[in-house]
Amino acid sequence: MKKSKDPFEIAFEEQDESPPESPTGPDENEAQTPLTLDVSGDDDISNNLRPTDPSTSAAASIPVGTAGPTGKSKEEDEEEEEENMDVELGKLPSSGDPDKTAIMQTILSQFTEGQMSRYESFRRSGFQKSNMKRLLTSITGSAKISMPMTIVVSGIAKMFVGELVETARIVMAERKESGPIRPCHMREAYRRLKLEGKIPKRSVPRLFR
Amino acid sequence: MNNPTSRWRAGASQPSESSFKRKRGVFQKDLQHMMYGFGDDPNPLPETVALVEDIVVEYVTDLVHKAQDTASKRGKLLTEDFLFLIRKDVPKLNRCTELLSMNEELKQARKAFEVDEEKLASID
Repeated sequence: MKKSKDPFEIAFEEQDESPPESPTGPDENEAQTPLTLDVSGDDDISNNLRPTDPSTSAAASIPVGTAGPTGKSKEEDEEEEEENMDVELGKLPSSGDPDKTAIMQTILSQFTEGQMSRYESFRRSGFQKSNMKRLLTSITGSAKISMPMTIVVSGIAKMFVGELVETARIVMAERKESGPIRPCHMREAYRRLKLEGKIPKRSVPRLFR
Repeated sequence: MNNPTSRWRAGASQPSESSFKRKRGVFQKDLQHMMYGFGDDPNPLPETVALVEDIVVEYVTDLVHKAQDTASKRGKLLTEDFLFLIRKDVPKLNRCTELLSMNEELKQARKAFEVDEEKLASID
């Protein structure tokens, strides 16, 4: 089931249109606006040059780029998400084969800025342990939630978000829409995941929402 | 019915004992980065993030309830109950076992680090 093939391709095509200077946080949105301004002052020249370079290199490296994520999407989920914990991004784990890490190194070295930024977000993002622990405590009602349990649930939830976003991107591709994911896509993605049986079903209907 | 203000005030004075007093946007910041990492826009729409948060909380809730169902025979809720639930989903299962083994490794490493520090302190 190659469900993650298309959304990455779509995402890369979109990165061509929007400036790949993708910030790690939503505050750095100002970096994107220089593209729409006219080349008026000297200050803007350096800003305008940078967005154009990654786009050409993105166009050149897109054949490699799409080969990379599509190949690594499943492996990514399985192996390379370890950086979610306290380990830095540069220190790749040596517990896998040396072949796989070597392949990863070659792929990573050819990433564009945009791809690298997205990959970094993918690796580093995660649910706050404290928030997840609080949520689990409130659900179970018991006070003792072990740390491994929090870690496991956070990992499961993160992969679930990944499935949602990827399915939503597939939905958008079918409807030939672009841009940020809208709630209608997300609801359709959720419905499809439900049909696939990936959502745990409630044996008791939910009351008093 | 006659004075809705008193009813509202009464509800607010109660301590939040269980899940239903959930604040919105608990996972908002994390979810924004996560959705970008998985393929969304660098700035996902706030309504989409809110919807994903609701979906995820409901997913975790149902997951925990199911785990509690299997754990009730044993008594305590254990991590193994979650692993049993996702046994059919191979990527998730692999990822969880990987996370758990990495957690163990880090624990051992930290313990070894403390032992080394003690040794250094005793040498002096």
